[in-house]
Amino acid sequence: MKQSPSMERIQEKMQPGRLTIKGFLGDDDRKLADIIYEDHGNITAAGVTNEEIADRMQHFTDIAAKGLGSPVKTEDIYIVSVDDHRGTIPCPFSDNFNAGKRNTRFENISLGITIYWSDLNIHMIKEHGFYEGKGSFFRIDTKDIAMILGLTK
Amino acid sequence: MTILFTILSISAISTVLSVFIVIAERFLNDYGECSIDINDGTRTIKVKGGDTLLSSLAANSIFIPSACGGKATCGLCKLVVTGGADELLPTEEPYLSDDERRSGIRLSCQIKVKRNISIVVPEEFFSIKEYKAKVERITDMTYDIKEFRFKLTDPREIDFKAGQYMQIKTKPYDKGQESVSRAYSISSVPSDKNAVELIVRRVPGGICTTYMHEYLKTGDEVILSGPYGEFYIRDDVSKYVFIAGGSGLAPIKSMIFDMIEKGMDKEMLFFFGAGSRKDLYYFDLFKDLEKKYDKFRYIPALSKPEPEDEWEGETGLITDVVSRYIEDEKNKHAYLCGSPGMLDACIRVLEDKGFTRQIVFFDKF
Repeated sequence: MKQSPSMERIQEKMQPGRLTIKGFLGDDDRKLADIIYEDHGNITAAGVTNEEIADRMQHFTDIAAKGLGSPVKTEDIYIVSVDDHRGTIPCPFSDNFNAGKRNTRFENISLGITIYWSDLNIHMIKEHGFYEGKGSFFRIDTKDIAMILGLTK
Repeated sequence: MTILFTILSISAISTVLSVFIVIAERFLNDYGECSIDINDGTRTIKVKGGDTLLSSLAANSIFIPSACGGKATCGLCKLVVTGGADELLPTEEPYLSDDERRSGIRLSCQIKVKRNISIVVPEEFFSIKEYKAKVERITDMTYDIKEFRFKLTDPREIDFKAGQYMQIKTKPYDKGQESVSRAYSISSVPSDKNAVELIVRRVPGGICTTYMHEYLKTGDEVILSGPYGEFYIRDDVSKYVFIAGGSGLAPIKSMIFDMIEKGMDKEMLFFFGAGSRKDLYYFDLFKDLEKKYDKFRYIPALSKPEPEDEWEGETGLITDVVSRYIEDEKNKHAYLCGSPGMLDACIRVLEDKGFTRQIVFFDKF
């Protein structure tokens, strides 16, 4: 897919050492526009929207936050916790959004799957449909995320 | 054929425009020499136009507090600009209240000096200096927290108030091509004038904390600036409540030991929240202090103690423990430092006990 100059600039900001030491793209060498396009296809195929995914993640983060770092069990099959650091990080999409440096650990006990996301991930998914590049620590697999979060069976 | 011609035309126009913008940036955006009038003519400095107000002032040894190094993510570098600045930028808006905007307050990291400009700099900022220092000692405090002791080499002495913070500038390393600055609270006491100690918790993926934890070695030279911040003991009350978690212990340690050194005869209650025993540090130091100083009480609390911890102290969330110990706000001030989530939760508990925002002090950056 053809990528606009503004997307090129955003992709440049996502490189290692710019906003974080590892960057947002992992070892994914696709264009940012292609990453977002393909993930959008997976999310749509699962019958959900980016907003629903982000809202569900935010829901779990809010529950986890009450544990002040300790794990919290919810809905019988999920264990969530947050790791909170001082400071903020700007969104690489240059939309003047600064996220707190808070990471959520999410475990789906029944599936035996644990994933991680940051507050910035929730924002980037909701506002930009970006789930990070393959190989990135916070990459969320868009084929299974709706099921992992309990939005679909 | 028409489509191909259109694509080629647009590409050609885009290329020409891009080249024009690059040339314009280089030659037309030459603002020449500009003057910065400080505090209504008290001091005037000449700078080369085009740089940010924050870095223009820093180049003239006037250091404005900033925890993010000029990325518009901390909102600390506020200054009153009385003339010569462009319109408010969208990047500044999240950090400025309506009152601040009406007062001419701006983020100095976002304003470019393009013409003569007039600003107001609080007097205390003039005591902020840049320091060359050497890493004297690095100590592992927990699995993700290290303490760094920096010996000051030029200048060799610093004056600060317990609770204030310093900024450290990283060198480019690994894939990071830029130097970044980040703020960390001082954990040593003000009487230790020839050095500063900082406690740094590793942030996964963090540019500065990774640099400090993995790249900084004993003997390395670093650039520090400071002291910054308004988080220090202010008013005289009879009881002090301190609450910290993680690396937030740093300024609280400095405050407690400074108060004791100065012979302040006050009751002090220090709550430290952690997950398990492996997250606790300076445990023996504060336990010893408790034995020596009968008005000091140390209350570490573990929210998730491991069986092997054999923990006999307080358990539960730090908010619950604080709530059990603090009955009311009478004759008390509270000083808090830690993660934003912990701070917000503890502030709510204190408010429930009658503490107003005027007597709760915290360092949240």
